[in-house]
Amino acid sequence: MSDETREGSLSTDETPGGSSAVAPATADTVIEVDDVNFAYVKGKDVLRDISMQINKGQVTAFIGPSGCGKSTLLRCLNRMNDLIPTAEITKGEIRILGTDIYDPSVDVIELRKHVGMVFQKYNPFPKSIYENVAFGLRIQGIKSKSVLDEAVERSLKLAGLWEEVKDRLDSSGLGLSGGQQQRLCIARTIAVQPKIVLMDEPCSALDPISTTIIEELITQLKDEFTIVIVTHNMQQATRVSDRTAYFYLGELIEMDDTIKIFNNPSRKETEDYVSGRFG
Amino acid sequence: MSQTAPTGDNKPNPEAGSVVFKRKGFQFMGLGTQDFIRFFFGGNASLAIIILILICVFLAKEAFMFFPQHHAGLKDYRQSGQEFVDYIGDEIGAHTNLYSSANIAYFAEVNRTSREEDDILRAHRAVLANLENLTSKTWGRFEREVDALEDVGDDLEDLDPAKEEDQPKIAALQEEKERLEKEIVKFRVELKEEVSAAINTNEAWELGVGSDAPPPESLPKLREAVLFEASPEVDEEHPYIAELKAVSKAKKAAAVEEFADFKATLKAMQDVVRPLKSLHSEIRSIASENKAVLVKLSTAADRKEAWIKGAAATKDPDEKARMLAEAEKVVIEAPDYDAMAEPFYEVIPEHAALIAPIDTEMAVLFQQLPDKVETRSAHENLKRAKVYYDRFVKTVAENRENIKGWSHEKPVSAVESVSSFLFGRDWITNSSWHDVYGLLPIFTGSLLISIIALVVAVPFAVSAAIYVNQLAPLREQNFVKPAIEFIEAIPSVVLGFFGILVFGETLRVVSQVEWLQWVPGFPMAERLTILNAGLLLAFMAIPTIFTLTEDALNNIPQALTENSLAMGASKLQTVFRVVVPTAVSGIIAAVLLGFGRIIGETMVVLLVAGNKIKIPDFTEGIGVIAQPTHTMTGIIAQELAEVDAGSLHWRALFMVGMVLFAISLIVNFSAQRVLKRFQKI
Ligand SMILES: Nc1ncnc2c1ncn2[C@@H]1O[C@H](COP(=O)(O)OP(=O)(O)OP(=O)(O)O)[C@@H](O)[C@H]1O
Ligand SMILES: [Mg+2]
Repeated sequence: MSDETREGSLSTDETPGGSSAVAPATADTVIEVDDVNFAYVKGKDVLRDISMQINKGQVTAFIGPSGCGKSTLLRCLNRMNDLIPTAEITKGEIRILGTDIYDPSVDVIELRKHVGMVFQKYNPFPKSIYENVAFGLRIQGIKSKSVLDEAVERSLKLAGLWEEVKDRLDSSGLGLSGGQQQRLCIARTIAVQPKIVLMDEPCSALDPISTTIIEELITQLKDEFTIVIVTHNMQQATRVSDRTAYFYLGELIEMDDTIKIFNNPSRKETEDYVSGRFG
Repeated sequence: MSQTAPTGDNKPNPEAGSVVFKRKGFQFMGLGTQDFIRFFFGGNASLAIIILILICVFLAKEAFMFFPQHHAGLKDYRQSGQEFVDYIGDEIGAHTNLYSSANIAYFAEVNRTSREEDDILRAHRAVLANLENLTSKTWGRFEREVDALEDVGDDLEDLDPAKEEDQPKIAALQEEKERLEKEIVKFRVELKEEVSAAINTNEAWELGVGSDAPPPESLPKLREAVLFEASPEVDEEHPYIAELKAVSKAKKAAAVEEFADFKATLKAMQDVVRPLKSLHSEIRSIASENKAVLVKLSTAADRKEAWIKGAAATKDPDEKARMLAEAEKVVIEAPDYDAMAEPFYEVIPEHAALIAPIDTEMAVLFQQLPDKVETRSAHENLKRAKVYYDRFVKTVAENRENIKGWSHEKPVSAVESVSSFLFGRDWITNSSWHDVYGLLPIFTGSLLISIIALVVAVPFAVSAAIYVNQLAPLREQNFVKPAIEFIEAIPSVVLGFFGILVFGETLRVVSQVEWLQWVPGFPMAERLTILNAGLLLAFMAIPTIFTLTEDALNNIPQALTENSLAMGASKLQTVFRVVVPTAVSGIIAAVLLGFGRIIGETMVVLLVAGNKIKIPDFTEGIGVIAQPTHTMTGIIAQELAEVDAGSLHWRALFMVGMVLFAISLIVNFSAQRVLKRFQKI
């Protein structure tokens, strides 16, 4: 990660986080979380008073001890929580690109095309490599071979997988190594050119070398996509992210530039956590 | 310290080690409880396997003994000359089929001209019969009264009014007579009322299967005629009916005139084979006698052995001697095979001389059959006649070789005794002529039923499983799943009842609906058909396929669905592009196991398939499904109880069981293979 990119994307010295102070959205803001509470089961909020802004072209890391609600918040951003019948946002609003995504008029499918997601457990479809990457385009009804070919090649190149698989695009995606499969999933996600890519612990099931490759990939991808990544790995957060949000027991404790969070956090809890004295 | 350590200080204490590691608890011959529990379960598992192996061995032993026995039977068939006779019988059979089809066509054409009248007359008979049924109680009472009245009349005649002593009797009888007459008048009125009420019911106009309704304009007159004839005092025909009969008769006579050529052709056809038929029946009785000799011979050894065994078992010396004498009496002497076969060789030239003119004559006569007919029945029967004619020609041609080359000494090959079972086209048992065990009729029956069942069950069960597993709301899932699985618990006999009484009848009634006549096989004459059995089996297979498909879908990791949804796929896209394709081998396995369930099912097919042992007539296209059939499972269940253990028939049934066993084995094996592939995903 170069300093230059970080400086380019640094915001002013506002201090988002806490519970009430929400800075006004800037032109660069793509995700705005505005005082959100969320519950899986009625009456038990697992996220409380979350407010944050995520800016275009940045990598934002969510960190915090297990069970603090990182994944939950991430899955709120593309409404994956809709799959759980009783789950709902009980307070507040999430706006992406200026639209309240929980508004009844919002088409979830359209939203998910713009907000892609990479999961912890890589899960290519039991189809060929080519079909895996082309999946998102195919379900949008695109049939043109040339368009698909082009998109598959571009996405695999972006995911740094092209050279490794270009000769066996027709073989099953399940035949790849773990790291390759995860990159294939990333290629699949970015093939539909989402604005935002959400990643939930994308490297936790991978070996160190694959992890390094994917981390490099993330820093390259942020030129095109806004990335939100959940990670348990502090080093990873410092390596890939521009901003970091620390959660604890369903609350956003602090969100700031990654450098600041790891070197000079404003809250004591954050410091305890990042220095390893806790969690 | 040295006092407390009896074995010395510098030696390691053996006790200490064994205290920690020694096995505790119950011990027997070095085995602990754990081992016994393990052996118990392992033992049960191996017992199951041993029983399975025993079943296989037993089945195989009984079944494969079929072939030597079958071989002997075929040899008898040849040596007795029955084979030779059947060659000629085939020619006659083909001819008879041809003739009777053409004959049906002829009558369809002749009756065509008077169809309208015949329809009305048929309806007239049907309605009269229905009315009689509907009013049968009153009729019965009425008739009893009439009889009683007659008796009284007879009694009165026997008495002499001049005699003094008869006077009181006569008076009593007179009184009785008057009473009866009054009663009868009353009953007449009652009957008349009842009939006029009954004629307004739908039951009265139930015309029976296959009859065409009379033209509507005839209905008022028909009604009048029926009412007239149904009333008790009338004994003659209504003029309308009498007139119809006359017209019908006249029209028929005209038609007979018109089709005189057709009739002449038919007659010529019948005449031309007559000499061949008498030749056939002549040699047939010779072959029968030969066969009896051979059967006696083949059982002689068994009988002798039975006597000797009996003698060995009895203690009474007299009895023993008698039995031994009996055994002595049984002669096992080979007959003179050559002499037995002699008559057949003698008729070869005679047959050749007969068949050649028949062949040429039939070619001419067949051409003379009309090719333009008006009724559907005539048309179809002539089409059938064409098929039979071709078969006749083919049989005659084949027989040229068969008969010339026939030899009673030609050995029956082992292949023949196998292939005539596996590919035999007939299954004929308990016949006085020759039993034939051919698998094809029952095999095709089973196969057709299974195909229908699968074609119906698979779409239903698979889509229901997809719906319930993937799309249905939870509440619906909780209702539909147990409901479908409950089907499995219905005893198949109950389903069979349902199939006969409700389903078969409904199907038949539906098949008679006017605007459904384009459906092949409609209208169906039978209730018990391939279609009926197939549909019921489909019903039985649905739970199996449904449950297994559902399992396969359940095995698809939730993550795959989530991935797809996160890509912006809709629920349906996810189901049909990700979940189902991933589960497809599981679904195939489900279908295969469903097939196994279907082909092994016995009770339903036995009750519902119609049990007619005949290769279905495929010339009817899809309509074949409206025919009755028999199945492999059904035939075992039906016949096994009635045959002697160890007989050829008995073994043939075992062989059928063996085939079923093999099919199940293959199906299960492939299902497992497919499943294994599925689990790799
Ligand atoms: N499907 C669910 N239904 C009910 N409660 C849930 C569900 N998923 C998560 N939770 C609860 O919500 C809380 C937050 O969970 P979440 O998965 O967001 O934590 P996390 O920060 O991602 O943890 P980890 O680092 O272990 O992944 C936890 O208390 C968890 O028990
Ligand atoms: Mg998580």
